[in-house]
Amino acid sequence: MQSFIGGSIRLGQRQGFPRWNRAQFKSSAKAYLPSQSSSNAVQGTNNSIKSPNNHLLQFLGTTFVSQANGVCSVPVLSPLAAMMSSSSSIYMTTAAFPNMHSSEPFPDVPTRIKFKRLDKTAKHIMQIVDKEAVEEVKRQRDVPEIKPGYIVQLKVEVPENKRRLSTIKGIVIARRNAGLNTTFRIRRMVAGVGVESLFPLYSPNIKEIKVLDKKKVRRAKLYYLRNKMNALR
Amino acid sequence: MIQPQTHLNVADNSGARELMCIRVIGASNHRYAHIGDVIVAVIKEAVPNTPLERSEVIRAVIVRTSKELKRDNSMIMRYDDNAAVVIDQEGNPKGTRIFGVIARELRQLNFTKIVSLSA
Repeated sequence: MQSFIGGSIRLGQRQGFPRWNRAQFKSSAKAYLPSQSSSNAVQGTNNSIKSPNNHLLQFLGTTFVSQANGVCSVPVLSPLAAMMSSSSSIYMTTAAFPNMHSSEPFPDVPTRIKFKRLDKTAKHIMQIVDKEAVEEVKRQRDVPEIKPGYIVQLKVEVPENKRRLSTIKGIVIARRNAGLNTTFRIRRMVAGVGVESLFPLYSPNIKEIKVLDKKKVRRAKLYYLRNKMNALR
Repeated sequence: MIQPQTHLNVADNSGARELMCIRVIGASNHRYAHIGDVIVAVIKEAVPNTPLERSEVIRAVIVRTSKELKRDNSMIMRYDDNAAVVIDQEGNPKGTRIFGVIARELRQLNFTKIVSLSA
């Protein structure tokens, strides 16, 4: 029974004992685990725990999902975890679950979803959101990889022009990675004057990026080209 | 970021070659001029046999700066030099041709003649 309750237990354990006193829980959902005497409300993040073999896990899973409206409060499983700590060597592992009660094999348990402590997740939640946004843009448009030293041709839609796309061709001299706000600088010669432009890589104004050539450079930022007055590009 | 004592190239064929900024119009002290601002400048170097002469005080509008110009769609433009176009009191250019590239922001600032002369 103990081994069936997956991440919730680990979560409860990670909080440690003294944290329960400070834990907040909503009394609206008192989930009573059927094989337990009584336990407090279980609230968790919106990760679902699926194990079709086990009714208990399903029950827990549904309670999680039903309250998973972005509520992140510390789950409390005091009697359960008390039982856990007293008995077992099941500790906060994210490795393979120790198969103590392996009477029932798990043929189709999905890959375990790692739970971090909720405040740890909150610290990099912006990173997660950022990654999702980048993937969203990449799915819609094909964004090639751009490194310094590439000769690149862009088709940029300028809202002032509105009639057509302007073509910008130049050498990439810098690239700054910042998630969705990844920018790159292009240097080109326009009518005898050197112009550097900085574009966000995932900007919707950039309709097309085509890599024409790749030059060998030994630097990440090619600012020395400003002094060299590159007549070639 | 043009301030007094800054030397600027001249981007038209009015006869001046190099200007030195004296004052930024419409600003108190400690303000820098950017693309689209009008400055008072003195001609430091002029092409011979043209109406404009050296050490003449004229007005000019800045068309290119080495300091980045930010746009609303988070694009940034940065030119390799600082350049200005000589204008008169109303804002019409004194020259007849514009050399080099002009930032698009001048169109919104009612320097339409300059924009139409450039490429």
